Amino acid sequence: MGRALAIVRGVALLGLSPREVRVEATSSPGLPVLRLVGLPDAAVREAGDRVRAAITRHGLRWPGERLVVNLAPADLPKVGSAFDLPLAVAVLAATGQVPVEVAAGCWACGELGLDGSVRPVAGQLPLVAGAGQLGAQRLLVPAAAAAEAALVSGPELLPVADLGEVVELLTGRRRPRHVAPLTVRSTAPGPDLAELRGQPLARRAVELAAVGGHHLLLSGPPGCGKSMLADRLPGILPELSTDQALEVAALHSVASLRSPDQPLERRPPLRAPQQVVSAAALVGGGSGVPRPGEVSLAHHGVLVLDELLEIPRPVLDALRQPLERGEVVLTRSRARVSYPARVLLVAATNPCPCGFLGDPRRSCTCRPDRVERYRARLSGPLLDRLDLQVSLRPLDHRDLLDAPTGEPSAVVADRVAAARQLATERSGPGALNRDAPTPQLRRRTDASALTGLAGALQRVGGSARAFDRTLRVARTIADLAGDEIIRGAHVEEAVAYRLPAIRGAA
Amino acid sequence: MTTVVMDALTDACQPITAPGSDPELVAALVAWAVRPRRTLEAVRRVLAAGPAPDTDSHGARLRSHVLPQLDPDDLRAARAPVEQWRRHGCRVAIVGDPGYPARLGDGWPHTDGPVLLVSLGVLATSVPTVAVVGSRSATSYGIGIAAWLAEAAGAAGAHVLSGGAVGIDAAAHRAALGTRGGTSVVLGCGHDIAYPRGHARPGGLFDAVRAQGGALLSEQFPQVPPRAGVVRARNRIVAGLADVVVVVEGSSRSGALLTATTASDRGRPVLAVPGDVRAPGSVAPNRLLAEGGHPCTEPQDLLDALGTSRSDPGGDPDTDRPLSVLPASVHAALAAAWPRALSVDLLLERAGLGAGAVLSALTRAQVAGEVVEGPDGLVLCRKPGGADTPRESGRHGS
Repeated sequence: MGRALAIVRGVALLGLSPREVRVEATSSPGLPVLRLVGLPDAAVREAGDRVRAAITRHGLRWPGERLVVNLAPADLPKVGSAFDLPLAVAVLAATGQVPVEVAAGCWACGELGLDGSVRPVAGQLPLVAGAGQLGAQRLLVPAAAAAEAALVSGPELLPVADLGEVVELLTGRRRPRHVAPLTVRSTAPGPDLAELRGQPLARRAVELAAVGGHHLLLSGPPGCGKSMLADRLPGILPELSTDQALEVAALHSVASLRSPDQPLERRPPLRAPQQVVSAAALVGGGSGVPRPGEVSLAHHGVLVLDELLEIPRPVLDALRQPLERGEVVLTRSRARVSYPARVLLVAATNPCPCGFLGDPRRSCTCRPDRVERYRARLSGPLLDRLDLQVSLRPLDHRDLLDAPTGEPSAVVADRVAAARQLATERSGPGALNRDAPTPQLRRRTDASALTGLAGALQRVGGSARAFDRTLRVARTIADLAGDEIIRGAHVEEAVAYRLPAIRGAA
Repeated sequence: MTTVVMDALTDACQPITAPGSDPELVAALVAWAVRPRRTLEAVRRVLAAGPAPDTDSHGARLRSHVLPQLDPDDLRAARAPVEQWRRHGCRVAIVGDPGYPARLGDGWPHTDGPVLLVSLGVLATSVPTVAVVGSRSATSYGIGIAAWLAEAAGAAGAHVLSGGAVGIDAAAHRAALGTRGGTSVVLGCGHDIAYPRGHARPGGLFDAVRAQGGALLSEQFPQVPPRAGVVRARNRIVAGLADVVVVVEGSSRSGALLTATTASDRGRPVLAVPGDVRAPGSVAPNRLLAEGGHPCTEPQDLLDALGTSRSDPGGDPDTDRPLSVLPASVHAALAAAWPRALSVDLLLERAGLGAGAVLSALTRAQVAGEVVEGPDGLVLCRKPGGADTPRESGRHGS
């Protein structure tokens, strides 16, 4: 019985970025205990018990010696149950049940049941993708997650259903089974814009938001169709590319929102947290290695915040950084992780606390100073970032009966795709006008439109920060009109979407 | 007796507005002024008991007799606000001071003018002044009418005064900005308090008023917040400074009613804009009409009450209004709805143009001051069509 040092590799995730973890095991004379060292969290420490139960129940041998397992590098925090499988393989190799040199060429991630079955873990997809990025050649994955793992090109996959299969594969008694990659689902039909009557102004704003990725504020009394509009926004956004869809799936996988057998979704995600959402739930958080929040789960898609002004101010302020940088950076004592968060924010709010300000059918019962204070809750910096602000009017019965049914989503989506193509030609694939660089914007703006914009913003009292942001909306309007140059009329329309905020604050 | 008091006060207050005046004395006078009741008694006692009135000026006697009686704590407390006013560049005038508007001090102390009037900027006192007042929770009808009246009054050379609040007040101030008459604000709080926040921020309405040569007035110490009592007391100053008061919109408990009552107590004409009888915002003007206020249905009513002729033979360049910046169909839709507001959605439907074209035209019109937006939609600032308002005839070509 050799005192061999067995090494198997696993993956730890910091946010979505993978780190290699060497699982080293060796046995030495002594009492038959398992010592686990190298900054394991509670779930990893429990792995020892799971691994021991799984190995013995499977008729494999647990050594009558002292076992030391080290997770290196020791300063990297390791969380969750994904180290069960590499740990088990390392123990099997250290006790000679699997050849040490075969184990050394293997990567593994997965959770063990007490019966020895191998199961997928939260974050399985980014773990597999991470192993590929780190240069893994052969990867042991839970059989249930094999089809998902096959989406990620890279290592040779060794799908395993239980520990017995692991031993058979690694000792060469069995050949790896063939895996067909998961299907990629093209956009399933969701709610359609054709179901929405009237509201031409809001329709226009939603279309502009879809083209340029500009954040949207819908203000209006209850029942005027704010959430109907928001729900239909993903349907007019372009489908996600495979890479984008994988990125979204990876985030959802970390948050345990997807099971590995679900097809890969091309439809942009829509997340609508309730207004009692906490800052940690919105932008991400938690102890140890922080988990992604709603703003990351809506990455490449739409984040809907209904009743925006009912959300506490500190929670709203936490949104500013992700909206500005397109990612969330969460710093904890032991780890600093970042999650991508490029979202289109759709905020909805009532015009006043009672909701009926400006409603022709019911009078508002709020005192004017309460309305002022209600609106002041929306901090200036966040308000400035909501580039498209529209007031929705309540529909009356005449509208419901007579108003023309709107254009179907497919027609709007075609226009959106054509306009986005122009932005792609200017700044590369995936570029949104929301992030257009200022010099490029100004170079393609009519000189009189620039002075007109400065004059208009000065007259109506817009902030300096509003200037470039308004110009970006004008860029989107010009793209939708197929115009290469931003002209006066485009700028004026863009200012119109900013006026409600300026008036509301005044 | 009153005139004697006035003269005495006038003398005593000279140093306040004189450059380089003694801060100690200014502080003393302020401390003295903030306790009006006790002060008046002190003044009366001094004047009644003073020996040989013809050898001594009232001011000198006040200085020598009243100031020593002041509580030293009051004096110390008065120094801080005086220093804050200095930093802002405010002028402080005490009733009777030449810098204190004679209209407001008329009949004091039997009228209720403030003892102190602090102004940032100089209030034009030699021009006719109209107060356009009304509710904060204004409808777009009220906002449109207020802007229409204020702009016409300003263009005719009258100074437009209001309380600087949101709603009607703000619409009146905005419309009068840049007109010949100009506009000034009577604040409902001290000069250090940013209220309403949107107006007081840099680049806001108050900065625009100052930039156009208007004044921000207050009777309060710099740090006084806009408490209900303070804000309502402000209304009597608006009334006292105005030659004519016009009430545009207000509920049954509106401060605008207080302004109107004060003005009519002082014998100044009060006008009211008739409103929709079903709307809560029409209670105040309609009640005033029932009690004998004059109806104000167009700017000429206001100018008639003011005694100002609009057809100034000199010809004012800014009475040549530019043509409407709106496309014909948009203007027609807004004109058909006037004086009621039209929501953007309905406007888009009725104008038969694309959303982009209508929105860009609306921005142009709002910047040009042709259209204002209230909570219930958009409304033309001025009465459309030519027949009733000669100055505007031919503008819209409709």
